[in-house]
Amino acid sequence: MGMEHVWLLPAIPAVLFALMGLFNGLVPRRGDFIVILGMAVVVVLSFLVLLDFQGSFRDGHFAPGDSNLYSFSWVEIDTGVVDDLLLIEFSTFVDGITVLMLAVVSIVTLMVMIYSVGYMRGEVRYGWYFAVLSGFGAAMLMLVVSGNLLLLYLSWEAVGLASYLLIGFYWERQTAAEAAKKAFITTRIGDVGLLIGIILLWRGAGSFDIQEIIHFAEGGGYGETYLTVTMLMLFAGAAGKSAQFPFHVWLPDAMEGPTPVSALIHAATMVVAGVYLVARMMPVFDVALVARDVVLYIGLTTAALGATLGLVTSDIKRVLAYSTVSQLGFMFVALGVGSVTAAMFHLFTHAFFKSLLFLGSGSVIHATEEQVVETLGGLRRKMPATTTLFVIGSLALAGIVPLAGFWSKDEILLVLQDGAGFGPFVILAATAALTAIYTTRLVLLTFFGEPKDQAAYDHAHESPAVMILPMALLALLAVIAGFVALDPVGRALGFTGGIGEVVFTQGHEGHAFKLDATIAIGATVSALAGIVLGFIYWSGTAERAVRARQWSPEFHDLLVNRYYIDHLYQFTIDRVVLGLATVVAYFDRWVVNETGVDGSAQGISFAGYRLKFFQTGRIPNYALAMAIGVIVLALVAVGRT
Amino acid sequence: MAGDIPMENFLILSAILFGIGFYGVLARRSAILILVAVELMLAAVTINMVAFAAYLDPERFTGVIFAIFVITVAAAEVGLALGIVLRLFRDRQTAMVDEASDLKW
Repeated sequence: MGMEHVWLLPAIPAVLFALMGLFNGLVPRRGDFIVILGMAVVVVLSFLVLLDFQGSFRDGHFAPGDSNLYSFSWVEIDTGVVDDLLLIEFSTFVDGITVLMLAVVSIVTLMVMIYSVGYMRGEVRYGWYFAVLSGFGAAMLMLVVSGNLLLLYLSWEAVGLASYLLIGFYWERQTAAEAAKKAFITTRIGDVGLLIGIILLWRGAGSFDIQEIIHFAEGGGYGETYLTVTMLMLFAGAAGKSAQFPFHVWLPDAMEGPTPVSALIHAATMVVAGVYLVARMMPVFDVALVARDVVLYIGLTTAALGATLGLVTSDIKRVLAYSTVSQLGFMFVALGVGSVTAAMFHLFTHAFFKSLLFLGSGSVIHATEEQVVETLGGLRRKMPATTTLFVIGSLALAGIVPLAGFWSKDEILLVLQDGAGFGPFVILAATAALTAIYTTRLVLLTFFGEPKDQAAYDHAHESPAVMILPMALLALLAVIAGFVALDPVGRALGFTGGIGEVVFTQGHEGHAFKLDATIAIGATVSALAGIVLGFIYWSGTAERAVRARQWSPEFHDLLVNRYYIDHLYQFTIDRVVLGLATVVAYFDRWVVNETGVDGSAQGISFAGYRLKFFQTGRIPNYALAMAIGVIVLALVAVGRT
Repeated sequence: MAGDIPMENFLILSAILFGIGFYGVLARRSAILILVAVELMLAAVTINMVAFAAYLDPERFTGVIFAIFVITVAAAEVGLALGIVLRLFRDRQTAMVDEASDLKW
């Protein structure tokens, strides 16, 4: 099982999706164990790929020859545009980013599937749920192994479809159906940009192959403005999928789906597809520095926006959703200063602790059937295991030594300070402190203090082992995943230089991890300060928080109303889109239909009504007309000779 | 044979016959008389063809054969047409063609 056989990884769950989607009624337990076994095989295979990847290093450099490529001609069309041949290849490509994504996607998918056995027990469409999870896994794995942009776009849409299906899983509920539509349409707006970007890249390079495009761009093949526009288009797609400002509005609503789905798709895997895309195309972004700066500032805006909104949201899953938006912003900030390593490292650690947090919140919802934090509280006495695991995840998110989040967040702050200077650094550091505050708030309101809703509290119970075990494993990863950054650990795993060597794009050496003492201490202090602040405001009955609300009601309103961005979009849709639709409908009804279609029919009908009086019904008239016609023809014939 | 008579005489006769027939078709109301007029026009055409055959291409019989064909077809046509006229008369006790205008709008 080498890197050239990596197409097997998406193939297995794809086949299971087709089989289980159609025939889940024919197997015991609606086939959940088959899907889980398939994903377990994928996890094993992805580790085999990792081993083969490790074996491809020569003198500390990734030198696979062609063994990391696999391709065959898929479509050939004569176009007359570039080289007269449009060649679409089915191709896979493996490098450090791919290996890392494969590990993250397969492990988290497997954990979420196992957890779902407990969480979704007795739900409607149980078999279909597992089939779609498998389908999502296939699409996501395909996305990260595809070696050309068209295949990537195909998988990109496929994960969007799976996301749509799973957000709207409870489609009997109006809000779920609308959330699914909102997610699909919002990401779709970005996807149009992505498609335009792909076409523009192809127009220059004459190929969809990512490595060829990178080569072409580095050789200066694209004009500067052309490339900037192209990469911004591409980034629009990435921002849509990764819920970056101004496309971030869909992610909190996507929480209408089952909680394990939120953990898998809307925390660990699909939403990082945008990060993956930008990381994959980073050598091209390095040529288009203006576009890269846009990535940086969009990421910075989103990080701050998500963190502030996390402070006031009361739905436990929505808090985590805004946290995800914010953390994705962190990753884009790292990409914005050109550090693929830092971004992918944060993606790696974030996937584990954030999916852990989501699964923990799922455990709470499963136990209490309540997800508004103001009605929870005191759950630590009823759910000790969930509480412990949730706190571990929260500490990792807040960035406390030595949990995973600490290492990756530090790395981002470090590259930001080196790459973009003091201003952005301060904003991001403040955002990191905010992260600690809203995380503390969430933990305190949910698990500590006194229960606010006695009925929900009495209903609560610890979740079954099938849910706790995957969470425990993710918690373990959330604790240790950060250590791979350390040089000794990296060397022990067989990578010189730690993960910094693992994650790089061809031709661009990754840099080894540095641990800047000043930043590390500063970040720890600010995270601890954030936690202390959280304790001051939200411990007990949270009276200080209530008083803080009155300190500036306007600001609180602004946050509660999500900066009025959703309102603005709704207003735009109501006034501009629906207004335009009215005009178009009017045009269609009166111009196209009444005048064009009905009008011509009525004209002909009227003409027939008038013209029919030429028919006298008297045979001599017809004969005379015929005779006159013959005579005229004869005269014409004579006249011509 | 007809060596002394110039061809034009035959053509003039033919034209006069055709004119009479044509007038008959246009002016008569009775279906029977219209049929008779049509026969006159056919006879005119036949004379035309025989005349051309005799004067312009005496070696071959193309025009004469055509004349025989026209006579045969005319006979068949009269059989058919008289059948139609008979049906018309049975249907409405008249053979006047301007009475049969049911299909006019």
